[in-house]
Parts: sequence; structure tokens; C-alpha cells
Amino acid sequence: MNLLLESIVANGLLFDALGIIGLGVLALAALRLVRKSNSWGGSMMGYGAVALLIARLYILLSPHFISQDLLAAIGPLGISMTVALPTLLLTFGLAGVVWGLWGHEKWLRES
Amino acid sequence: MYFVQLFQIASIDAVRPVFMIVMGIFLMLVAWRLARNTEGWSARLMVGGAFLLCVGYAILIPLYDAGKIEKYYPGANLHSPSTALAWHAVKLVVMNAGWLVLGLGLGLHSGLLRVPLIRKVSKTRTVSGHESVA
Repeated sequence: MNLLLESIVANGLLFDALGIIGLGVLALAALRLVRKSNSWGGSMMGYGAVALLIARLYILLSPHFISQDLLAAIGPLGISMTVALPTLLLTFGLAGVVWGLWGHEKWLRES
Repeated sequence: MYFVQLFQIASIDAVRPVFMIVMGIFLMLVAWRLARNTEGWSARLMVGGAFLLCVGYAILIPLYDAGKIEKYYPGANLHSPSTALAWHAVKLVVMNAGWLVLGLGLGLHSGLLRVPLIRKVSKTRTVSGHESVA
């Protein structure tokens, strides 16, 4: 396989790290918007970014600690959670960021 | 998904691509509106990031959900492995760089990060709660 492609795909951790860093900066920026300008859009974006961060970190780390024994121990509800929670977090995270950005833009326009 | 499936058309699996497309387009729209009256790098980065994310959420993910692109994972039985690999690489780059650029743009916009400027003269700065600055 082409070395560049291999580094992108097989060692995709680099790109995932970039995405996580971007989300982290987004969360910090949203925090600043909340502190300095009391923009509610900022807090929505903050919550959304945190949800996305948690989901992404879980997806990155889960292959390392999820094993058959752990799955058996947490039972069928737990297994449903390991499938459902990351998707829920990703969905609400994206919704939060978009809604927050819209609210912030509206607030900017009106002020 | 072990969720309540009311009707086929309202099931979670059916709604998800629609949700992604709507979110992607909405994000693009909002970023464009925000940047319309803003100058400088914060606007460019935010629109750029939003555009990358829109491509990812509104185009790539629905294509995956519709089965038009094969999912690439170890041990997959793929029709065309090189195509699947190529799309996987595109998705990785677009979705991650999108968030990175959007985050950096918002960081600039909120004043968290600043564009390094070599100030020759010290200017009097109007302190605004909102620095859409470059």
C-alpha cells in the first residue's frame, strides 16, 4: 500500500487526534463566548462540543478495553448502551453545535 | 438499533441520513451568514471548516448509509477494496479537518486565539466583547 495512504488509514489516529483537538478548541472558544459575552449560543456549542468529544474519545478508546468478558459482565442493557450512547452523543453533539452557532449568529446580528 | 421503531419511514435508521443532511446544510448556512459581515481569517476558517463538515455530513455519510460507498473495516468482504479505502481516507480527512478548521475559526472569532500581528504602532483598541478580528 502506498505509504501516505497507509499512514492516513492504518494509523488514522493522527487525523482523529486533529479532529479531537479541533473540538477541544471549539469547546474552549464556546466557553470564552459564554464568559465574555453571555451568549447562550456559546453554551449550547460548548455542550455540543463536549458531547462530541466524549463520543469520539469513547470510539477511539473502546477497542482497547471492550472485551467479551466485559460485555458479558454488563449484560444486554449494557451492550445496548455501548451501541446507543455514542450514537446519541454524536447526534445531540452535532445538534448542539449547529443550534448554538445559529443562536450565536442570531445574537450577533441583533446586538 | 434497539430503539422503538414506530414506522419504517420514521425509524431511527431512516431518519439519521435526513438529520445529517439537514444539519450539514444548516451549519454551512449559519457559518456563511456569520461570515458575511465579518472580515479576516476567523470568517475564512469558519466557512472553510463548515464547508468541509457539510461535505462530510450532508454528502459522504448519506452515501455510506445508502450503501453507495462500501464501509471499510478490517475483515470486510469488499467489492472494490481500493475504492472503499479511498473513500475511507477522504472521510477521515474531511470530517477531522472540518472540525479542526471550524474550531480554530471559532477560537479566532471568540478572541481565544489571536492572529499574531507585529504591531508597528500601538493602536488604541476599542474593547468589544466580540472580536471578529484578523
